[in-house]
Amino acid sequence: MTDTRLIHNVGAGALEWLWAHRDGFQLEPDVDPEVGFLERFKPIGELAMICKVLFREGVAGSRQAQLARQLLDHAWRETLDGGRMLVRGQLTEPLSPIPFEVYLPFKELGYSQPEIERAARLNHRLESWVAFEATPTRRLGLSAFQRRFGLPPRPPEAELRDTTWLARTPEPWTVEGHIAYDVTHNVFHLTDWGERPDGLPPGTADYLATWLPVWIDDWLDLERWDLLGELLVVDACLPRPTLDERAWEGFAAAQQPDGAMPALRTMPQGAPDEVFDIVYHPTLVAAYASVLATSRSLSRLAQAS
Amino acid sequence: MEQSGTSSLLQGAVQELASGVVSALRSGDHARAAAPALADVEAEGLTLAAVRVLGADALLPSTLLHAPPLPGELAVFRKAVEAYPPGPGAAPAVVWSHWAMRRTLRRLDPGHADGPDGDPDAAWLEGATWQVLTHQLAVLAALALPGEDCAVARAAGQRPVDVARGFVRAVRRRDWRQAAGAGRWLTLLEGVPQTLGLENGLDFVELMGGQDPLVALQVRAARLTRAGAFV
Repeated sequence: MTDTRLIHNVGAGALEWLWAHRDGFQLEPDVDPEVGFLERFKPIGELAMICKVLFREGVAGSRQAQLARQLLDHAWRETLDGGRMLVRGQLTEPLSPIPFEVYLPFKELGYSQPEIERAARLNHRLESWVAFEATPTRRLGLSAFQRRFGLPPRPPEAELRDTTWLARTPEPWTVEGHIAYDVTHNVFHLTDWGERPDGLPPGTADYLATWLPVWIDDWLDLERWDLLGELLVVDACLPRPTLDERAWEGFAAAQQPDGAMPALRTMPQGAPDEVFDIVYHPTLVAAYASVLATSRSLSRLAQAS
Repeated sequence: MEQSGTSSLLQGAVQELASGVVSALRSGDHARAAAPALADVEAEGLTLAAVRVLGADALLPSTLLHAPPLPGELAVFRKAVEAYPPGPGAAPAVVWSHWAMRRTLRRLDPGHADGPDGDPDAAWLEGATWQVLTHQLAVLAALALPGEDCAVARAAGQRPVDVARGFVRAVRRRDWRQAAGAGRWLTLLEGVPQTLGLENGLDFVELMGGQDPLVALQVRAARLTRAGAFV
């Protein structure tokens, strides 16, 4: 089993990098309408979600907890201008689910923006929302978010669970990058981002316990750190995580001294904002995988004692 | 240069031999398999080396289709067994592949008894990771025969999930030879996860890599095994 300190240090490093590069989480209010104002909201939602996981698991050190709190405050106050940017995004694209998705983790952590909540409730009533065309996994995620917001999900999650790639437990040798990302996100939604491992149906959990080691082995050797990180999260969501030593050692070795995690093989070259755009996601994922795996590793220690 | 020339000649000879085995397995006509004419000394050396590389599978049509090999075919096989005994420090896979050839020889040519032949050691597979296990089993796919009881087959039988993982890994890496060899083993094992989709997996391996006769041979062997061919 992997050394818990090694797993923990990956997350500690990642948070240091995220804090040092917090200004990279920025919106582009004057962006070309063809690109879309909402494009740059996604990183902020992901940041908030992962900070929420960090608080929930309660296994990060006090330094990491403090950095996470500062990051959230920064994102809410500076980047989102106290939530007003979410409203602006919603007014720009009234039917887009993105402002709601970004808002939800902030709301769960105590931040509030009543206008986004009004829009969420209105959209929830629209047939257009129910008919919104998206991949089955994304659809499942939207319904899970509605539930967490306190609305009855439309469509209900029970109707969506069996429609995803993962639910059908297909031939594991057909998995490629896009399918693998669908699998990881499906698991995030089924388990509420690792909060409820028992949200995985037993057949799905068995399927993942059997085949996840192969996918981890593969994307480790391909040095695709972003996807590997997500697969390590999935491992930590299973009833019996492997916390695979070789994978974690490879993942930790890929991390830069300043905490950045390259997406693929080595760090990209380029202007700081370009590098941020490539690297922020694997670094967030590294923080996420680290906190969940640390938590599972500590639970195992507690059970063993 | 000479070495690479020789090695590519050998590869060509192995491919040709494997192609013969594949057509014999397809047509059920073992006479079309490995009965190369030994025209001269050089050609004989190459043929024997190719038979040694293909191992017991050089006589697979006879083994799986219950047809006695042609005398010439058997003679070449016997010569290859005798010409390439494993050296003292040979790797386990080399020892086992030679063991499989001797066993085939005894089975198909009972007159050629060379004494009792105990199982070599299979301890090297016991602690092997699933990646190494599958790789070694694929190299030793000639041992994957219905009813074959040996330490390697027992080691495979104890780890069906690991071999299935190795199959997936080989497909993902487009290592069709390894995938085909692992797939052949999997047709014999109990406890292979249903979700593997082995039947379609073998078809996929054949589609992607079947132009290589060494891949086609393993896939064909797997199909015959599945269809219930018995030693």
